[in-house]
Amino acid sequence: MTRAAAGDRAAFGVLVERYAGVARRVARAVLGNPEDADDAAQDAMLSALVKLDQYDPRRPFGPWLLRIVSNAATDRRRRRTVRRVEPLDPGLAAGGPRPDTAAEQRALGERLRQALAELPERRRVAVVLFDVEGYSHAEIAAVLGIPEGTVRSEVFHARRRLRALLVDWKEEA
Amino acid sequence: MKEAMPFDHRPDTALGDALRRALDPGDAAPFVARVLARASEVRVASWDAVLARWARAGVAAAVFVALAAGYLVGRATAAPAARPSVYDALMAPPAHPGEVEIVLASVIGN
Repeated sequence: MTRAAAGDRAAFGVLVERYAGVARRVARAVLGNPEDADDAAQDAMLSALVKLDQYDPRRPFGPWLLRIVSNAATDRRRRRTVRRVEPLDPGLAAGGPRPDTAAEQRALGERLRQALAELPERRRVAVVLFDVEGYSHAEIAAVLGIPEGTVRSEVFHARRRLRALLVDWKEEA
Repeated sequence: MKEAMPFDHRPDTALGDALRRALDPGDAAPFVARVLARASEVRVASWDAVLARWARAGVAAAVFVALAAGYLVGRATAAPAARPSVYDALMAPPAHPGEVEIVLASVIGN
């Protein structure tokens, strides 16, 4: 971290490689669109680079960075013009034919993304950080700037919605 | 898939895996390369900004020093020593008092 802050390009590269996945997933959970998400994740990484001297090394780096990512994604979502959301394929929505596993996975992914998009933004980020990235409630509270109890509630409500979708999907299969 | 228990503190791996696949951003290498390329520009830009700030401060300091120096030099050269007036010359003590007395004695003696 210190080396990255001092301008060590390789050290910053290591940080970017380590956190690229989670940063892009969190940004995508907020924005939906993968290109926008990558732009937001990139902005956040560069913003973090500029602010590295403000980072307290006694605290974990991940939540600090993800707070910047989450804020960058939220800002971008507010700024961007309303994009036309591609309507969900009626076949997918109805659980239509699934010719092979890859297609099934794509269809499930599409349905999950649609379901995520219907959740409030904070709920989306909370469930992704908890169930996908494995962050604790306390860490997510630090990322989102909300009380830990609220994080638990957000994760619970998000899970209930998404689990219901997954159960429906399995039953249809 | 676990039951949806309120405030479950354990991650749901099945849901997590499904979400991870749904949000999979793809290959990280192009993204990392793009960020690192932009990072070089940002760092250069930030150095430019630092130098620009220092340049502004430096110019301000140089102007101040030049003005102060000009004032002091001007003050020193613009007020030359005043030439003594006739009155001052008459009232000033003589540089060599003995000479005046010799002259006076010779005049009185004559």
